[in-house]
Formats: sequence, C-alpha cells, structure tokens
Amino acid sequence: MSLLDLSRWQFAITVLFHMTFPAITVGLSIFLSVVYGLYWRTGRAVYLQMFRFWRRVFAVGFAIGVVAGAVITFEMGLNWGVYGARTGPIIGPIIGMEVVTAFFVEAGFIGVLLYGDGRVRKGTMFMSTVMVSVGTVLSSTWIIAANSWMQTPAGFKVVHGRFEPTDWMRVIFNPSFVWRWPHMLAAVLISASFFVAGISAWYLVKGRAKGFARRSMSIALGIAALLMPVQLYLGDNVAGHELPYQLSKLEAIEGNWNNGDTGFVLFSIPDQQAARNIAELDIPCLGSYIAKDLTCKTAMPGLKLTPAADRPDMAATFWGFRIMFLAAVLMFGTTFAATVLRLRNRLWTARRFHRFVLWTTPVGILAILGGWVTAEAGRQPWIVFGQLRTSDAVSRLAPGEVLFSVVGFSALYLIMLVAYVAYIVRTMRIGPERDDPGQEPPPEDLPDTGLAEEGVPLEPVPPEPVPLVPVPLGSREVAAR
Amino acid sequence: MTTTLWSATVLVCLLMYVVLDGYDLGIGVATLFERDPAHRRHLLESVAVGWDGNETWLILLGVALWAGFPLAFGTILPHAYLPMIVMLFSLIVRGVSVEMASQAPPAPRWTTAFGVASLLASFAQGFALGTLTSAVRLRGDVYTGSAFGAFSWFCVLSGLTVTAAYTALGYAYTKHKSAGRLRNSAARRGAVATAVAGVLLVAVLVAVGSTAAPLNLGTPGRAVAFAVLLLFAAGGGGTALVGFAWRRTSRAADTLPLGGLVVATVSVFLALGVARYPVLLPPDLTLGSAAGPHSTMVFILVGIGLNMPLVLAYNVFAHRAFAGKFTTGAEGHEAPTTQGPLAAGARP
Ligand code: HDD
Ligand code: HEM
Ligand code: HEM
Repeated sequence: MSLLDLSRWQFAITVLFHMTFPAITVGLSIFLSVVYGLYWRTGRAVYLQMFRFWRRVFAVGFAIGVVAGAVITFEMGLNWGVYGARTGPIIGPIIGMEVVTAFFVEAGFIGVLLYGDGRVRKGTMFMSTVMVSVGTVLSSTWIIAANSWMQTPAGFKVVHGRFEPTDWMRVIFNPSFVWRWPHMLAAVLISASFFVAGISAWYLVKGRAKGFARRSMSIALGIAALLMPVQLYLGDNVAGHELPYQLSKLEAIEGNWNNGDTGFVLFSIPDQQAARNIAELDIPCLGSYIAKDLTCKTAMPGLKLTPAADRPDMAATFWGFRIMFLAAVLMFGTTFAATVLRLRNRLWTARRFHRFVLWTTPVGILAILGGWVTAEAGRQPWIVFGQLRTSDAVSRLAPGEVLFSVVGFSALYLIMLVAYVAYIVRTMRIGPERDDPGQEPPPEDLPDTGLAEEGVPLEPVPPEPVPLVPVPLGSREVAAR
Repeated sequence: MTTTLWSATVLVCLLMYVVLDGYDLGIGVATLFERDPAHRRHLLESVAVGWDGNETWLILLGVALWAGFPLAFGTILPHAYLPMIVMLFSLIVRGVSVEMASQAPPAPRWTTAFGVASLLASFAQGFALGTLTSAVRLRGDVYTGSAFGAFSWFCVLSGLTVTAAYTALGYAYTKHKSAGRLRNSAARRGAVATAVAGVLLVAVLVAVGSTAAPLNLGTPGRAVAFAVLLLFAAGGGGTALVGFAWRRTSRAADTLPLGGLVVATVSVFLALGVARYPVLLPPDLTLGSAAGPHSTMVFILVGIGLNMPLVLAYNVFAHRAFAGKFTTGAEGHEAPTTQGPLAAGARP
C-alpha cells in the first residue's frame, strides 16, 4: 500500500465518520426547533418531553460531529498539503465563510439549547434552538459549495499551478452546486426522520411512552413522506446533470464497460484491470426507462469511453450508488406504507409495521454515506475534476507517519462509534419518561447545591442586558407550568 | 496592505484561541490534580457549556491561514504532522468525553479521559508551536521533510511551557467561576502553575536563540517593542500571582488572576510575533511568499473580516448566558444529583 493509498483511506474513513453525525444532527436540530416551537405555542407537556428526550440524542452526536469535523479541516493541509497550497485561494475562503457564518452560530447558541432549559425564557430557548438549526443548514450549504467546485470547477484561472478565483459568483454557484445542494438538504432531513421514527417505533413495540412515541413518529414519517418524492426527483436531476460535466462518473455509476446496454445493472463485480464485469445481473430496459425513454432504445455509455488513466474505480462508485438507490427505494416504500396506514387510521395498531420501522433506523444514514462514496470515488483520479490529480495533491509524508494516523483514527473512531451506539441504547432504555415535565419535583425540592455557604447566590447572577436578546437571562420560569 | 490586514486577522484568531481554549484545556489538566469526584465534575461541567465555541477558534485559525496563506497551510501542517495528529486525537477524546460525562453522569472514566486528553492536547499544541523554529525544506510549493525532522528538545520545552500556561489559565478561570473549597484550592494551585509557566517561559526565550529561528531584534523599533511587551507580560504574571494569593472573596480577587494571565499570554505572543515578523518558517517561508492572490484577499477581508464582530458577539452571548458563579451542586456534598450544569433545567 502506497503513501497515496494510506492518505486516501484515512480521508475516506475520517470523512465518512464525520458525515454520519451531521446526517443525524442537521435534521434533528430542525426537529427540535419544531417541537420546542409547538411547546411554546401550545404549552403542552408532551412537546417539552419530546424536546428533552431528543436533545439527549442530539447532544452527543453534535459533539462527535464537531470534533470529527475539525479533523477533516486540518487533513486538507496535513495529508493533502499540495492540494491545500494550490486550491487554498478558492476552497479556503469558502470554508472560512462556513466557519464565521455557521460554526460560530452553532457554537454560540448550543450552550443555551443544551443547558438553558428552565433557566432562560421560552422565547430565548426557542430562538437559540432555531439559530443552531440555521447554523447547521448554512454549514451544509458552504461545504457543498466547496465540494461542488471540486466536482465542476468554474470561475478560476491557474497561475503557476495555483487556482486563483476570477469570478466568485461562478465559483460558488458552480454547475453542480445548484442540484447537489437541495439534494443534500433533503437527504439530511430524510435521514434524521428515519432515525427519529425508528427509535420511536421501539417504544411502540414495547408499549412504552405511547403519547411521546406516536407524536414523534407521526411528525418524522410525515416529513419523510413529503420529502421522499422530492428527493427522487432531485436525485434524478443530480445524475442527469452529471452527463455534460463528469461523464466518467456516470459511466462508473451505470456499471457498464461497453456502450449499448439499455438495461439497469443491479448487481456486478467489476474487474478494473481487465475492464470487464466478472459477474453481472441486468434488468432489461430499466436503464432506458430511467432516462425517460419508454421505447427501450436509449443506451448507457460504458467506462471504456474514458482513457484508462482517467477512470474512476468502478466498484466503489457503482456500489456506493447502489446502496443509496436501494435505500431510497426502501425508504420510499416505507413512507408510502405509512401514509396508507395513516389514511386508513391503522398507523398505531400495525405492530408489524412498527417492528419494520425500527429496523429502518439507520437506512437514511447509509444512503448518505453511499451517496458520498459515489460522488467522491466517482470523481477520481481527480481531486479537482479535470484539473488536479489526487496523486499530485498528496503531502510527501513518511508512510510510517500516515500509517500511525490511519491506525489511530480507525481505532479511536471505532471506540467512539461503539460508545455513541451504547449511549443511544442506554438513553432509549431509560426512556423519555424521566423527561416528562409532569413528573418534576416542585422547585422547593431542588437539591441543595451547598454553594450558598459563601454567600454565593444559588441563582445565577442576573447578567447585564445582552445585546442580542433583550431578555434578562436569569429570570427563571419553571418549565411546563 | 491586504496581506498585512489579513495577518492581523490570523493573529487575532490565534490569540482568541490560545486564551479561550487555553483556560478550557487548563481546566481539563486541573481535573487530573483533583481528588474529590464532586469537584472534578464541577470542573468538567464548567467546560461543557463553552468548549465548542472555544474550539471553533482553532478551526477559524486554521482556515484563516489556509485562505490567506495557502502555502503556509500546506507546509506547516505536514511539517508538524505527528504533534498535530496527536492533538487531533486528544481533541476528539476530549470533546466526546465532556458531552458523555455531562449527559450521562456519573461517568468517572469519561472524566479521567477528559483530563488525560486535555493534558495531551496542550502538550501537543506547544510541541507543534515549537516545530515552527526548525528549518523547512520545500521543493517548489511541495513540502519535503522527514517524520521527525522538525523535532528538537526545544519542542519539548515549548510543550511544557504551553501546558503550564494553560493550566494556570484554567485555575484562574476556576477561581473566577467557583466558590468555597474549590475556589481556594484553585487559587493555591494556580499560583504554582503561574510561577512554573514563568520560569519555563524564561527558559524558552533563552533557548530560542540556539534554534534555526533566533529572535530578530535588529532594529531599535523591534527591540523596544519586544522589551515593552515582555514588561507587560511580567506585569500580567505578577498581577495574577497577587490575585491568586488574595484570599478574601471579592470580585477583584476573583477576576485579577484571569485578567493578569490574559494580558501576559497576549503580550508574550505579540512579543514573539514582533521578533519573528515576517518569517513563518525558517529560513524563508514568509507571510509575503505564502500569501494568496489579491482576489482572494479582498473576498476574505470583506466576507470573513466583516463577520468578525458578529462572531465576537456570539461569543459574548454564549459566555453571558452562563455568567456568574457556576452551580452544579458539587461543593462540599456527595456526588451531585443534578444532571448537566444547571440544576433547574437539565434535571433528570
Ligand atoms: C450535511 C452537512 C455537512 C457536510 C457535508 C459536512 N459537514 Fe461538517 N458539520 C456539519 C455539517 C456538514 C454540521 C451539522 O454543521 C456540524 C456537525 C456537528 C456540528 O457542530 O456542526 C459540522 C461540524 C463540522 C466542523 C466543526 C465545527 C465546529 O467547530 O463547530 C468542521 C470543522 C467541519 N464540520 C468541517 C467539515 C468538512 C471539512 C467537511 C467536508 C469534507 C464537512 N464538514 C462536511
Ligand atoms: C461529508 C461529506 C463528504 C464525504 C462523506 C466524502 C467522502 C469521501 C470519500 C469516501 C473519499 C475517498 C474516495 C476515494 O478514495 O476513492 C473522499 C476523498 C476526498 N474528498 Fe471527500 N467527501 C465529503 C466531502 C468533501 C469535501 C467538502 C471536500 C473538500 C472541500 C472533500 C475533499 C476530498 C479530498 C481532498 C479527497 C481525497 C481524495 C481521495 O481520497 O481519493 N470531500 N471523500
Ligand atoms: C433514487 C434516488 C436518488 C438518485 C437517482 C440519486 C442520485 C445521486 C447521484 C447521481 C449522486 C452523485 C452526485 C455527484 O456526483 O456529486 C448523489 C449523491 C448523493 N446522494 Fe443521492 N440520489 C438518490 C437518492 C438519495 C437519497 C434518498 C439520499 C439520502 C437520504 C441521498 C443522499 C445523497 C448524498 C448525501 C450524496 C452525496 C452528496 C452529493 O454528491 O450531492 N440520495 N445522489
């Protein structure tokens, strides 16, 4: 394994690990805003219970997302130093905008979202929750702009090997950004919906916390049902717009080496060296139908159109896409079934369906990871498509150094993943019952904090007016009362 | 002109990061010296509300360097690869353990992980700073070095100094934010950490002369600025020591150590900046040779520069929302029964 391979593996592992968490937290932060807004408007305890429970799930995922994100940013210089130096004038500013318009917003308000409940006014609480979700959406926007530029670069000139911007509007609104951005946004909303629906289904299966679980599942599956058809449309356009810009990726997605196949390859084991498929299962005419030709005449381009040196790895691209596609079909079916059950008023009695939804908890996340493998593996061997090769962009490090970091990240991330799953399972077991504001002890029974001994007030010192929110933060409302 | 303005922005990010995450890493180190589980918990939770915002300055520092000085970003990071990787490992463990321990208490093992990772991260950061004094080899715009080529005993010294300084900042913050026994022990230990950091700093200033990047005090302007800034630093450190020793509970006694140490930290970095300007890595990677094109500089000065006041406002908001002494129920009692830093809101 070469230095290049090691750096690629490290990047793939760290970036896929990071992506897992935004796939949960972006949508969940919006869900939290909705739920808290409902609580604020209606004052119903169940919404506060939902807010508190899902916030526990959110909090740790968010923290892991933050630290894993920091890793990727530095890898752009650590492992891809040549890429960092050459594309810095374009990618650096875009990610810089992300930091100041998104990360600081998230970081500024997350403290109140996580720890302010019962300490600040409901309005402040709501505003902070909304600000966190605004931050997560902005952050996805900028990062997709940066990545889309690498897929379909525009608005630049190359000076001594370095990319310099000539037209920032064209850099940011590059050709693939326009479709990939809504596709990504819908993706994170869908994946969070399935995550929420799946965990809620567990309570329905167990017959626990029914009011909580029904409302959570109802909102989640409702959002997913609205978005799934939209996502299929968007996904189709993402693929369609690839044709003029990244033909080699589309060829790899389709899974054919030679031109002329009008079918859709469902299963294949490609042999990159020999430029053929060792095994293949093909659904006749489906490829043509997907290309909106019902006469079964439109054929798919094959990867042999692309010179061997410029071919992406077919297996990764093909299977990344198949995972996303099959997950999409599964999710579409699930939301369809849920809508039918709902219309027939059977959603809360269909036990087998609940058990099924429980199993779909991670499907949205898998679709997102599959989608990214498609996008990134399909871009290879270019790091900036058509302009800079990945092999020219890698830092000339000692292989031992990179081996150390690959092994370290892999081990650490495995532990973190296990810890996160264990935490979620534990949080599920304890359940939302403890978050029910009806169960709260009256404020007089608050545990004695003992800090009063030196004349320190138990209440936080009422701070001076804060410029951003004209609300005295110290004023306490006991929630749900 | 644009290059100078942007260098100033990068410097602001560096100072914000060192002060903010400095106290927060220092509190982590402080948990290692603390026996009482309730106190350890209190320390950890005083970090839980703010670590994310503090760490974001590190991201901004990295990205500001990348956007404005891409060659520096693509060279310094591979140059300091191993310490940076160790720092990233530690920051991961730290971020996750803070959240795990405050969301699902009691979690003694996560709390220990938090302390150890904070110590490692501080040391790795200081070590990485130290590598900026060893010469770099570039072929065109491509870094060519070896795994340990940037390492020297100076890096170790630098790592120790930074760790001690962060620890002192952590104790100063703790004295500011806590009461009772915890406040008193923070004051005692903070004074020790401040003294150790001061001694180590003197060693650093002496030793840096024998690295590849000796201080450049050639012109009177530089020499005077350097001397004045070091005087400020000494004044800040002295103030902190007095503040730590001040036993009476008063606002001043609780703020002086923090204020003094912030002044000292900022002055030291500015002094080193004055003595290094404009070299980033010896012998000849400078701000000028690493700078990006004009079209980029204009974009970032407008886009990122104009956002900085807003960014500072979010930071103020985040710290104000949790102003005043911190309450976890940790003081003088058995393990806290509350969950999360705030007794009322985050109750189980
Ligand atoms: C779908 C959206 C999305 C995508 C594609 C990415 N991220 Fe991300 N990122 C987020 C959505 C997000 C987020 C939801 O906004 C996070 C997760 C947790 C958080 O605090 O913000 C985040 C956090 C986060 C952080 C920590 C921010 C902080 O300190 O608060 C960094 C540095 C990055 N990301 C960087 C990246 C890089 C370099 C990516 C690409 C390779 C990337 N992210 C892909
Ligand atoms: C979170 C979303 C992303 C995911 C999940 C993702 C996933 C991946 C994967 C799986 C690879 C390995 C491909 C291969 O080796 O064949 C890769 C490579 C890469 N991606 Fe991404 N990517 C994401 C976003 C981005 C963004 C936004 C950037 C740049 C701003 C980026 C830059 C790179 C670079 C530099 C490589 C290295 C080339 C390589 O490893 O082959 N990625 N990414
Ligand atoms: C069957 C419907 C879908 C089609 C045809 C489709 C198509 C595509 C294509 C062609 C790409 C590669 C884009 C590129 O080259 O950069 C992509 C990427 C991606 N897809 Fe899908 N997709 C579908 C459904 C979904 C679903 C349901 C999700 C998640 C819930 C999803 C999430 C993603 C993500 C996260 C990426 C990577 C980001 C990007 O490149 O924009 N997709 N999709």
